[in-house]
Amino acid sequence: MPTLRVDHAKCTECRMCYFACEEIGINAVYIDLEPRHRFEIDPHKCTYPTCVVCLMYCPAPGSIVEAETGRSLVPPPPDLWRDRSDKWLRDVILAAKEKP
Amino acid sequence: MEIHPILEEWLNDWVWPSPFRGPGVDFRMRLTRERLVPVWNRIVLRALEGAQATESKYNRGEYPNAFGGYSGEGPRMSMNQMSTQLLTVSIPEQEKYLDLLRMRARQLWDEVKHGSLHADVLIRGGQVHKETELMEEVRANYSGSRAYFGLTATFPHLHPLARAAQNYHTEAGACLGIKCTLEVNKNPLAIHENLSQYYEELMHFMEGKYQMDMFCLMPEDQKPVEEALDFLLWPAFVNSRGLVPED
Repeated sequence: MPTLRVDHAKCTECRMCYFACEEIGINAVYIDLEPRHRFEIDPHKCTYPTCVVCLMYCPAPGSIVEAETGRSLVPPPPDLWRDRSDKWLRDVILAAKEKP
Repeated sequence: MEIHPILEEWLNDWVWPSPFRGPGVDFRMRLTRERLVPVWNRIVLRALEGAQATESKYNRGEYPNAFGGYSGEGPRMSMNQMSTQLLTVSIPEQEKYLDLLRMRARQLWDEVKHGSLHADVLIRGGQVHKETELMEEVRANYSGSRAYFGLTATFPHLHPLARAAQNYHTEAGACLGIKCTLEVNKNPLAIHENLSQYYEELMHFMEGKYQMDMFCLMPEDQKPVEEALDFLLWPAFVNSRGLVPED
């Protein structure tokens, strides 16, 4: 499964991703105290692409990318949101709880 | 109504993307389509009209927004926003909706930075030699806004979700205005002065989008947003800024 990575050259440290991920109970975004107190995404907790919450509220283009390909996910590419009209928040949270 | 391509692209990048379905998202989509897109479209059209004239002024060494921006932003704007937010609603109430202390600390940084950028433009453009000269310049310390001393200068939103309405609509307008300006005005000082502001406004827009999606689930939660928009979109208010609703 693809994973997410923060591109610190583009991230403005606004913390929207942290707050959104915390609000839905996944808590995959954290502050890495070393070396520079920057936001990082824990691939063991993140449920991308089932969950794309951070991507929808990030205001810094290019700041969150797919770690494997470097593909920018901010602003979110259409394939990540156009087919989500049937996904409810509970689906996202349940999928997170089921992650091994 | 034909949506301008700049607005359409902006809607596809920042407004329509949603992580899931829900009553908050449905509410935001409805009021965006019904109440906001027509106004945003007019903002784009007006901004594009004004951008060419603005570019000419920059190229002549006139910086129409720098003195007013220096006066209006900077520490004054930070203190306005922080003091009102902290004083009008209890902290426990605010914290349910947003990371208040962190957002206000960031706002201090943003507004002071934008005050500095305006000063930069004036110094690089030769209007002053150093920032301290602006202390003696009336244009850098005066605001013609009728709300200069009034409560409306301090964003007195009594409910955090009313603030969400302002974040969502007003900051969208600011983003679009700056985006249109930068589409036309390629003067380096215009870019220096405005680009950072665009991303600050976009961050505020995202705050409002997030709060509506996550918290405007019931009619009683949606009411503060609707009422704040009733004020912000009130015809007289809109007319005073030259944006006449089509209906």
